[in-house]
Amino acid sequence: MSAALSDHRESIWGKAFYKFRHDRMGMLGLAVVLLYFIAALGVWLGVWGTGWADVDGPKWAPMSGEYWFGTNIIGEDIFQRSIYSTKTAFEIGLVVAVLSTILGALLGALAGFFSGRWIDAIVLWLMGVLDSIPFYLFVAAVAFALQGNPWAMHVAMVSTFWTTTGRLVRGEVIKLRNFEFVEAARAIGVPQFTIVFRHIIPNTFHILLVQATIVFVAAIKSEVILSFLGLGVQDGVSWGLMISESTLEVLAGFFNNFIAASALLFVLVMAFNMFSDSLQDALDPKKVAAS
Amino acid sequence: MELLQYTLRKLIGGIPLILGVTFISFILMVYYGPDQTFELLGKNATAEQIAEVRAELGYDRPFFVRYGEYLKELATLDFGLSNSTGEPVNAMLARTIPVSLELVTPGFILGNLLGVLLALVAAYHRGRWIDKAIMGFAVVGMSISFLIVIIAFQILLSSSYGLNLFPVRGWNVHSLYSYVMYVTVPTLASVFVALGYNTRFYRAVLVEEMTRDHVRTARAFGISPAKLLYKHILKNSAIPIITRVMFSIPLVVVSGSLLMESYFGIPGVGKVTFDAITSGDQPVLKAVVGLPAVLFVVTLLVTDLLYRVVDPRVSLM
Amino acid sequence: MSSGETQALLSVRNLTVEFTTRYGPVRAVDGISFDVNPNETVGIVGESGCGKTVTGLSLLGLVPSPPGRIVAGEILLQGRDLVSLPEDEMQALRGQEISMIFQEPMTALNPVLTVGSQMVDVLRRHKKLTRRQARASAIEMLAKVGIPAPAKRIDEYPHEMSGGMRQRVMIAMALSCGPKLLIADEPTTALDVTTQAQVLEQIVELQDEFHMAVILVTHDLGVVAETCQRAIVMYCGEIIETAGIESLFDSPRHPYTRGLLDSIPRLREEKRDELPVIPGMVPDLLHLPPGCRFADRCEHATDTCREQRPALKTSQQSAASVACFHPLD
Repeated sequence: MSAALSDHRESIWGKAFYKFRHDRMGMLGLAVVLLYFIAALGVWLGVWGTGWADVDGPKWAPMSGEYWFGTNIIGEDIFQRSIYSTKTAFEIGLVVAVLSTILGALLGALAGFFSGRWIDAIVLWLMGVLDSIPFYLFVAAVAFALQGNPWAMHVAMVSTFWTTTGRLVRGEVIKLRNFEFVEAARAIGVPQFTIVFRHIIPNTFHILLVQATIVFVAAIKSEVILSFLGLGVQDGVSWGLMISESTLEVLAGFFNNFIAASALLFVLVMAFNMFSDSLQDALDPKKVAAS
Repeated sequence: MELLQYTLRKLIGGIPLILGVTFISFILMVYYGPDQTFELLGKNATAEQIAEVRAELGYDRPFFVRYGEYLKELATLDFGLSNSTGEPVNAMLARTIPVSLELVTPGFILGNLLGVLLALVAAYHRGRWIDKAIMGFAVVGMSISFLIVIIAFQILLSSSYGLNLFPVRGWNVHSLYSYVMYVTVPTLASVFVALGYNTRFYRAVLVEEMTRDHVRTARAFGISPAKLLYKHILKNSAIPIITRVMFSIPLVVVSGSLLMESYFGIPGVGKVTFDAITSGDQPVLKAVVGLPAVLFVVTLLVTDLLYRVVDPRVSLM
Repeated sequence: MSSGETQALLSVRNLTVEFTTRYGPVRAVDGISFDVNPNETVGIVGESGCGKTVTGLSLLGLVPSPPGRIVAGEILLQGRDLVSLPEDEMQALRGQEISMIFQEPMTALNPVLTVGSQMVDVLRRHKKLTRRQARASAIEMLAKVGIPAPAKRIDEYPHEMSGGMRQRVMIAMALSCGPKLLIADEPTTALDVTTQAQVLEQIVELQDEFHMAVILVTHDLGVVAETCQRAIVMYCGEIIETAGIESLFDSPRHPYTRGLLDSIPRLREEKRDELPVIPGMVPDLLHLPPGCRFADRCEHATDTCREQRPALKTSQQSAASVACFHPLD
């Protein structure tokens, strides 16, 4: 035991990795997420889930050997649709998480580094404006402004989800700005943009990673409601669409569609949340977890 | 006097924000919104009729003129008549805003109250099984989509496959009894969804406070746990708690009501807003888009004032 | 009356406090025993991490309980064992029979309550007083600790006072119910030198007036020299030496104590090349050596030292004790 202990690294990443590996819930969450990811990859590569739009089944077939989850009201295979939706979910989650994190990092760092000056004021104002526009209205508006473009939902999500990351990065950068290593860099003539990109932003990566996971979950959950309102996924299928299709079906007593989509969504979100929690716990011991 | 000055300063400081929100909203919803001309006229309109309606709807005027007019309407609260229904916009708001408030308020209050209570229990028994159990439920609550919860509750409580106790949809409220009947399922759904997030957040705040030196001092002088919890922990946690509650108001009232009203067919302001966006009904849109911004600024102001009441270190600067 | 031997006020026997960490259990305090007599001022000295603060906290049952707990030993306050005392009785005792003041006056008081309200809470918790009486009593105590215009200051908030004043308020609060024992954990470390001297003086004066015993926990030997009659030196969770103040400073018996004293910078006549330091580092509490914990830093260490743990031995004449196989004379 002493050998392992005496050579674990002192950096925040080294410690975090060690801590994370021993967090069983987090590892379980990560494992489940990876499973889903493989499913999504398979769909993307055309290996499975291709039959999601085929309407050759009977209406409301129960679970059977041929239709693993049964069929929906127009005869589509629920299982195929569920699997295909995995790809949709990851697509939305990844695109929105990556883009909003990048946007939040850039604008937040800019605002923080030049805190007190007009750049900061503008970014803060922008954040305030975006935060005070009700989310679903904003998405609806963007969807109409972009005239039904399937990326409208992504644009709207990225435009609103970056603000939290931005605020956190801004706060951290303001703190970092006062550290001596920044003064030292300035003193030897390193240009400001280099300071921001090479020295300060890397020190916010732990915040960015955690926020990215939170936004991923938020994006997937938002898609569900947006699809219900007709603003979400336009081509293809997603769990959100399946659930909104099922709203009439359940009143007639047919629950397969609803349960399949809900269960798959729930498991992914829950696993991701667990993963996100242990990530936070590993990277910042003052965080939420129950201990 | 000092208070008045402070209030005015804050309100004036909120003007750029209101301008920003109205500007962006105006661009998106009004300027680029759906063109209502054909909806009103049908397919076989003549060129003159089209031109006439367009002029009436204001589509032909330049951008800044329209924006300016909009700001004037906002300031005077005169939004005219709805293009779709002809009803005066103010009357529509007067009719629907109370409904939305009635719908959303019980869930909001319960969600936060229960959240704080559960957080207190969890924080007090930090690390023990009851804490882990509460946090476990919180994660589960956070992982279920609002839509799923609404549908599930509807099945369980209102349909013949479940308990069949409550009405499936609608809002036929004319008495306390009917109010309770119609508001229960939506309230339960929104509490269920909010509870996970709330409990986790409040627990974190309380735990942070519990580990502070002054709590240790109070314990060292034999102060009883109950008094500790209230006078020392809860009171000092007031600021983050208030911040969160206040800032969730615009979110809950507008977005929350939108979804529930759409699903349960409740005639509230959220549904009105949504319909206006999808149909491009400009007068209604203008009213409904500017108001949340004002609400937000007022919320900011009230939050600041509440801080002052709760924490003597905060000064009215 | 007993046969001339005063019964110790506080008697700690074999106290062991363990903390559960991710890497295993760690004993911050490992089988220590000591006594404190009534009206005596005892200093517990040692470097950071030696267990002196945890010792202080465990006397009042304030060791943070998810990670830490008392796993062995007794703490006898006039014969009553505090370790096995139920929590509600412990609460009655805190602030009443034993009081504790802490290091950071900035954060030790509740920022949203007035100083007076906090003091009144403590008074009314332990004594049957009305609000008026408690308030009057609090004002009196504030005056006693040297706070000017106490009747006004009692309604101030902590952030309106300086660090030194806050610490005095803490002292006032601690003494307000007339405890028999005051534990002061690094009370002046966060204060500037002048204020330090004033606060220490205050503690000494009040101790006399209130007839209390004081345990002063500190890493600062200067503070100990000024205020204490006896000192207990801790190292790595154990007590390695105890002695009367003068003999401790004149002729320390444990090599560690000698090292500590030598490393205090002093104004001397002759110049020295380097400040003497104790070589090496404090051992990792997770990997303690089998023998004396100071052995690898001690120039007198022998094989016995490295293999067996020296026990704390009390000398017959002087009531001093040392835990070493080769104590210095």
